[in-house]
Amino acid sequence: MSTQQILLAGLDPNTGDQTWHLADYVKRGGYAALKKILSENIPPENVINEVKKSALRGRGGAGFPAGLKWGFIPKAYQGPRYICCNTDEGEPGTFKDRDLMRFNPHQVIEGMIIAGYAVGSERGYNYIHGEVWSLYKRFEEALDEARAAGLLGQKILGSNFNFELFAHHGYGAYVCGEETGLLESIEGKKGQPRYKPPFPANYGLYGRPTVINNTETFAAVPWIIINGGEKYLELGKPNNGGTKLFSVSGHVVKPGVYEVPMGTPFPVLLEMCGGMRNGKLKAVIPGGSSAPVLPADIMMDCTLDYDSIAKAGSMLGSGAVIVMDESVCMVKALERLSYFYFEESCGQCTPCREGTGWLYRVVHRIEHGLGKPEDLDLLNSVTDNIMGRTICALGDAAALPVRSFTKHFKSEFEYHIENKKCLVPPEVQREGSRIYVTPNRVPSC
Amino acid sequence: MGAMKEFLNSLLLKELFQGLVVTGRYMFARKITIQYPEEKTPQSNRFRGLHALRRYPNGEERCIACKLCEAVCPALAITIESGERDDGSRRTTRYDIDLTKCIFCGYCEEACPVDAIVLTREFEYHGEVRGDLYYTKQMLLAVGERNEAQIAKDREQDAPYR
Amino acid sequence: MLDIEIDGKTLQVPEGSTVMDAAHQAGTYIPHFCYHKKLSIAANCRMCLVQVEKAPKPMPACATPVTNGMKVFTHSELAINAQKGVMEFLLINHPLDCPICDQGGECQLQDLSAGYGGGASRYQEEKRVVVNKNLGPLVSTDMTRCIHCTRCVRFTQEIAGLMELGQAYRGEHAEIMPFVEQTVASELSGNIIDLCPVGALTSKPFRFSARSWEMARRKSVSPHDGLGSNLIVQTKHDRVLRVLPLENEAVNECWLSDKDRFSYEALNSAERLTQPMLKQDGKWINASWQQALDYVAHAFKDIAKDHGAAALGALTAPQATLEELFLTQKLLRGLGSGNVDSRLRQSDFALDGKLGGAPWLGMKIAEINALDRALVVGSFLRKDQPLLAQRLRQAAKRGCQVSLIHSADDDTLVKIFAKSIVAPSQLPGLLAQVVKSAAEQKGATVDAELAKVSVTPEAQKIAASLVSGTNAAILLGNFAQQHAQAATLHALAQQLAKITGAKFGYLGEAANSVGAYVAKAVPQAGGLNAAQILASPLKGYLLLQAEPELDCANPQQTLAALQKAATVVVMSPFKLASTLEYADVLLPVAPFTETSGTFINTEGRVQSFNAVVKPLGDTRPGWKVLRVLGNLLGLPGFEQNSSEEVRAEALAGQPEFVADRLNNQANGVVLNLSLSAAGLERVSDVPIYFADALVRRAPSLQKSLDAKQPRARMNAATLAKLGVAAGKQVKVKQGSGVAQMTAELDAGLPDNCVRVAAGHVLTAGLGAMQGTLTVEPM
Repeated sequence: MSTQQILLAGLDPNTGDQTWHLADYVKRGGYAALKKILSENIPPENVINEVKKSALRGRGGAGFPAGLKWGFIPKAYQGPRYICCNTDEGEPGTFKDRDLMRFNPHQVIEGMIIAGYAVGSERGYNYIHGEVWSLYKRFEEALDEARAAGLLGQKILGSNFNFELFAHHGYGAYVCGEETGLLESIEGKKGQPRYKPPFPANYGLYGRPTVINNTETFAAVPWIIINGGEKYLELGKPNNGGTKLFSVSGHVVKPGVYEVPMGTPFPVLLEMCGGMRNGKLKAVIPGGSSAPVLPADIMMDCTLDYDSIAKAGSMLGSGAVIVMDESVCMVKALERLSYFYFEESCGQCTPCREGTGWLYRVVHRIEHGLGKPEDLDLLNSVTDNIMGRTICALGDAAALPVRSFTKHFKSEFEYHIENKKCLVPPEVQREGSRIYVTPNRVPSC
Repeated sequence: MGAMKEFLNSLLLKELFQGLVVTGRYMFARKITIQYPEEKTPQSNRFRGLHALRRYPNGEERCIACKLCEAVCPALAITIESGERDDGSRRTTRYDIDLTKCIFCGYCEEACPVDAIVLTREFEYHGEVRGDLYYTKQMLLAVGERNEAQIAKDREQDAPYR
Repeated sequence: MLDIEIDGKTLQVPEGSTVMDAAHQAGTYIPHFCYHKKLSIAANCRMCLVQVEKAPKPMPACATPVTNGMKVFTHSELAINAQKGVMEFLLINHPLDCPICDQGGECQLQDLSAGYGGGASRYQEEKRVVVNKNLGPLVSTDMTRCIHCTRCVRFTQEIAGLMELGQAYRGEHAEIMPFVEQTVASELSGNIIDLCPVGALTSKPFRFSARSWEMARRKSVSPHDGLGSNLIVQTKHDRVLRVLPLENEAVNECWLSDKDRFSYEALNSAERLTQPMLKQDGKWINASWQQALDYVAHAFKDIAKDHGAAALGALTAPQATLEELFLTQKLLRGLGSGNVDSRLRQSDFALDGKLGGAPWLGMKIAEINALDRALVVGSFLRKDQPLLAQRLRQAAKRGCQVSLIHSADDDTLVKIFAKSIVAPSQLPGLLAQVVKSAAEQKGATVDAELAKVSVTPEAQKIAASLVSGTNAAILLGNFAQQHAQAATLHALAQQLAKITGAKFGYLGEAANSVGAYVAKAVPQAGGLNAAQILASPLKGYLLLQAEPELDCANPQQTLAALQKAATVVVMSPFKLASTLEYADVLLPVAPFTETSGTFINTEGRVQSFNAVVKPLGDTRPGWKVLRVLGNLLGLPGFEQNSSEEVRAEALAGQPEFVADRLNNQANGVVLNLSLSAAGLERVSDVPIYFADALVRRAPSLQKSLDAKQPRARMNAATLAKLGVAAGKQVKVKQGSGVAQMTAELDAGLPDNCVRVAAGHVLTAGLGAMQGTLTVEPM
């Protein structure tokens, strides 16, 4: 199995925070892809084809093939078109884009310029999560460097290609990470998702055709251009090209961001993180808080790619692996997740606005010993009424955890309702949630 | 033969004595007549007598002028006008029941969402002219006030069946 | 065309239709809350979820475009389950206060919950409570009931033109609210009451007064601006309790302006005149109709005998019905006087005798939406014709270039392509520039007088815009019609329309402005016009539905004339304090809700209506009073037995449109471009809620922002020149009149102009609406 790194290649965990500058990036082979395209005059269609061949799938959560998305931009369209990068990383458990932007912002910039070239756009926006201000600042600095080096602006590297890129920071609303909510937010409106269709490829930012991809997706593009789409595909599994960043958190010895090829077995990743801290593995949420939880036995048989996880009944999502050991009370865990979705629902459409609050209140009631036997059926019925009936995926995201928690850990919920207390004794819970200092800790990378 | 039997029956006053047997039986049986008004029959707690408008224990009138009783009344005996009171709440400015029209069906009580209009056990009332039987809001509230204890008790008794 | 099958019914729908459109066409009802045919699609209530073949999830019918061969099931198990699920969510936080909710009985949520709601709630947690918002004197709020359909938000943004409401906060905490410290000030705000599918937004004047099922619904026509909005008047016990729009796509669509909707409050005003009154020895006494009409007949006969019939004159409000106008002129002409006019606010009558017919819109109202170029000359568009302005706004959104030439720069909330704001005296000159520039661009020739003007870049831009269009219109607003050089403006606009191939029309000032011409309630050859009737004081005046001190162009002159007259007969539903001083007889005639009648709107549409309630007290329909008066005067031709007979006589039949009587073409008008004003020029608007007798007496309208006291508004340069500070009291003098008011900064006014509103008691002592005045600091 390959251990090739693409996104974090050549970065030292100890000094990574200093080596993000343009010069360092060029030293690592950066901007070679852009230079190649512009000097060899590669036609935009070939760039898109290369990305299609690579089977690069969107890294933001939905896993939609990036090349296909770029191909949807109407070729004959007159007028501006836009490139948007979604760095609004709000999903609990996800922090991969943060590290990518911190250590390797130029790779994102290069990827966006290439995307702009491929779809004939002259303007891009990077929407950065508002709660991490330093990222926004770093990206602005990186943009200044790129502009000074003639990599952005008019007639890039002496060619006839113009591209300007701007950073835009949000204010931390989760729903602004939904692509159309993000577009509304950039436009200066309230961050509420739009009804689709029309999709952004036809009606995006300011009503123009727009490509919108995750930070990690853009960052993978330069490597594909240099090394070819096939090579990228070979790194992973068929239909699941390349490597992926995983944000591992929870009860592991070394939480952090790990880049592994698609299709790596989960136990291997767990091994890389130093294994479990103390307790036994109880459950894993493999793709960020909106993905259904999987119990330990199912998860240990999974490989980390979109298709395998989907087969197991969950989603790879943004690759946020939340590892939970036996000290976790699943009712309490679900209560926190439900609260998150209750707070973050945008309030636009009925099922999500009203349903998320209902779900949270019922789970809250169960957690606090006021549950009734019929509550589990009620939760299931409410999630049924939310799922598939909302404008955006937030409704599903709020319902899926409730569904999976009550399905896989039904006995814990029943115990809670019957005995009005946790199955996991409080002292065990306390022990499990103590602040944990990783032995021989190195900075996350 | 028949004529003979008939003659004997009438001579011996048989029918008269048969009748007197019935009289005699009731003379010693338990009496069912009552001496109204000194005595009264017992009433059901669902008795539908004179209407009343109720108040809450704090003195606030219950009626919120929803006009459902007016809408449901089959005899069109209820007339309501509503408006905004100074404190912004919805209240009746007029609540009249024409008792000459009323058929005491009790629908108004059924329709009322706040148990404001009720039919009391009071049935001994009269009017000397027709207009006396046109009850206004103040009169209905007065009926409610004087019967409140009984009304509350009756509703409580009936609550499980509602 | 696309094929679609809805619940087994196949039909064809046009390209671009949604499933909702198709269902509507098929006659299938799909439950919905946020969808409204006139608003953009939000798809946020999710009530219209239906099953679409091959789609894994239920789809919102309002936002799903029809594809060829699509199969839709609106009542399948999947669809019904989805709809019931959504209904449950809508109800969990909706208060169960239907008994005290004004929407009860006409509530979409109530109706649909009967079909889709559960018998009991599974939600046992606490319900949401939302603080009420202050949306001004017309709209009352109960925000806890809100289901966040955002119809009101979309209305203010898309139809009213200014986003005055928005949804703040997120998730369950989301609230509909106005901007901080603001209310809804739109002149169309009442429509959000109709749009709200629940009882969150209800009518404030109507609050708690009746239930929808108790009221009778009767059709009527609005008596205010030239549009003639169609109304549903709701009455109970012979009292008008509420007014709603009657949908008529060709006139008011499904909207009403606030004056149409809330002016009904004046019908129950304490100022209503309910009995004929006579002045004897300076004292008012109640009289019977017999006495009062005898008195009038004698007085008129005496004047005609002593001073000649020409000493009699009639002033009629353009809001009076066609029948009243017709009988008034017939009465006067029968007596031998041609002195009758209803153009009370007009000051230039040079067009009389030169016009081909009644001035009108020049096109159908619905055609406004299809314009691609428009030039509006002299109009306070939004306030004068709120719904016509709305149509222009929609046209502008679709790409129509709307230009404006005016003397004040009020925000029209219409996307304006080019505008030029000049002093009233410069307005003809400016229009002349546009004409010249258009002629140059088209290669047409113009008269020597026009050739002299030099063209400014703005005028050129406006002309270029008109020339480049294929469906253009030039519209004269109220301000242009009331302008001292109205005839010149008319002639120039007519010429411009000819050069550019544009349509040319008037934005009708009042409900029956066209009707007045059709009824001949305007002077014919030999008769005096409104200005002359007042300038050469006559002996006897008949005032029909008019309050001349507020409705006439020059209130100073008006009052002087009326006070000098021997007999002033007032036929009005109201008694105004100042009327009591000069009038001799007060005859209570019915307002539009208490009489049958006809209005002819600005597109020439004849709209008749019946009385919706009985006349108040001894009030009588105006046409009956005039008919009896005609009999008492012994005049022939007053034998009509119904208002229909009067209408048939006036219109010679029962036409739907009076197309043959309409004509904007005037010949032989002498252009007068050289007028220049020295000193401060007055710019007069007639504020929307002072424009006629009804709105002036509607208490709720009088509380709104548009009804604030008139102020002396000037731009910064003029303020500085006069040494006046904004916010300070000033004395405004015009002729012999003085008014004391607050000075206000209005950056949109040209230099040396003072904007002083007309139609208000405060400014009724001043002179003509256009003229010079002086402003002194106090």
